Amino acid sequence: MNDQMVIDKAKASLGEKVLEITNPAPRRIFIRVKVDDLLAAVGWLRNEMGFTYLVTISGVDLGQAFELLYHFANNFTCVNLRTEIPRDNPVLPSICEIIPGAILYERELQDMFGIVVRNIPDGRPLVLPDDWPAGNYPLRKDWKYERPPEVIPGGKK
Amino acid sequence: MKFQIPIGPQHPALKEPISLRMTVEGEIIRDADLRLGYNHRGLEKLAEQKTWIQNIYLTERICGICSHSHTTCYVQGVEKLMEIEPPKRGQYIRYLVSELERVHSHLLWLGVAGHEAGFDSFFMYTWRDREIVMDILETISGNRVHYGINTIGGVRRDLDEQQVKHILDSLAILRERSEYYQHLGTNEPSFVARLAGVGYLSREDAIALCAVGPTVRASGVPMDVRKDDPYGIYGEVPFEVCTADTCDVLGRTVVRIKELFQCYNIIEYLLKNLPSGPVAVRAPRRAKPNEVVSRYEAPRGENIHYIKSNGTDKPERLKVRAPTLGNYAATIKMLKNGFIADVPLIFAAIDPCICCAERAVALVDARSGQERIISMNALKKLSRQVSAGNARKREAEWPL
Repeated sequence: MNDQMVIDKAKASLGEKVLEITNPAPRRIFIRVKVDDLLAAVGWLRNEMGFTYLVTISGVDLGQAFELLYHFANNFTCVNLRTEIPRDNPVLPSICEIIPGAILYERELQDMFGIVVRNIPDGRPLVLPDDWPAGNYPLRKDWKYERPPEVIPGGKK
Repeated sequence: MKFQIPIGPQHPALKEPISLRMTVEGEIIRDADLRLGYNHRGLEKLAEQKTWIQNIYLTERICGICSHSHTTCYVQGVEKLMEIEPPKRGQYIRYLVSELERVHSHLLWLGVAGHEAGFDSFFMYTWRDREIVMDILETISGNRVHYGINTIGGVRRDLDEQQVKHILDSLAILRERSEYYQHLGTNEPSFVARLAGVGYLSREDAIALCAVGPTVRASGVPMDVRKDDPYGIYGEVPFEVCTADTCDVLGRTVVRIKELFQCYNIIEYLLKNLPSGPVAVRAPRRAKPNEVVSRYEAPRGENIHYIKSNGTDKPERLKVRAPTLGNYAATIKMLKNGFIADVPLIFAAIDPCICCAERAVALVDARSGQERIISMNALKKLSRQVSAGNARKREAEWPL
């Protein structure tokens, strides 16, 4: 299996669902799909192409939208599925049905970007503290950290 | 009655703040839950405010033991973004330090595994020999932990003849010692009996839960980024991917010991074929808008950095996935239906101590599912209340 084979098969099997496919470096394939076709694309990668290993999910804040990259790998190459969701309605389908190991990365996305993952088996917070204020999503570009003023107990008022 | 035992995040025996919650029924773990976030450092956010060069030192501080893994993963991605190629000698030194780091990390792990299995002399031996690697790393880089040797476009320090000779001499000692560990680790009956069958993770589960590194290789899946996606010089260095098919802690030990020998071969190859020339090239301050996925095989498994540039001297986004996060889902699977006494072994890499567990337990009433947290003294009182009517030993009637 090499890059060209994966690209050809993606075009043949997914057809219209593939919006864009690039191969900028050896063993790096980027496939852009619509968010509605995400589950179909992940299922195709997992079941027909043998990409069983999800490396991680990266989220990027593009301003008006969030871009998500699902990095898959097998013994030959690395495929990155790219999809976009609008910022005012950040809803994403969970892929845990197909790849159970995705749970930690999806929980991380919910915490860091405020993305709602539909049908997630376990949606509790994972990476941020228990007392983290609601509605604060640190990896959004418009989020700025403000250090709370230091208060010394018993100090000057 | 089911008990929930919280371990961490602040715990004298845990080196890192992680919160584990285990629901136990007697000795058997029925459910395990994990909670991160006690100490989220916000490194990914911070990286967006630092320059490319500053981020090398930031990524170095992601982890203490695999500090070189993160910088190498980062710089090899940034070099692609800046379209520069480090000179051969620089690359050889960079991956030489990588392999030395793998040796020190695996020796450390072996010691911890021996300690958790109650084989403390094994622990002391391996940690003594780990000092040899630490000394080599100190002679190369000047530091024992954060080597600070990587820079964009190569490495910061060169090797001289004397250092090469010192490394090769030390390597002979390490090889001899590792052979002894291999013999001991796979033949010592009580040690093998303690490790075999513990923390079972089937091949199917390892694949489904996206486990990485020695964990997945011990379940018989030959997955190694150095082989699958050869970065840097790994396309030209001969080595083998080590696997085991026992799917337990013994397999993970065997995989790590076998990998030690592969590391020694790689180090020897790198030193004997060390090209001459410069060790670094000058790097530009900015990178054109682009993106790159950089993969690296750290001692614990695959490390991935997704780096996106926007034309300035700072990254637009740096996403880091450390190998331990990839293994958590699999660890929970390993813990379930195991014994509480096996938790330290299964979690050996992060080294918790269960005997001196918390002084507070959460009681879950099996009938109503209600949960309350009480102190040890209150628990003692409760047990006295419950057993108040029971016959005491001195009052018991002699059955014969």
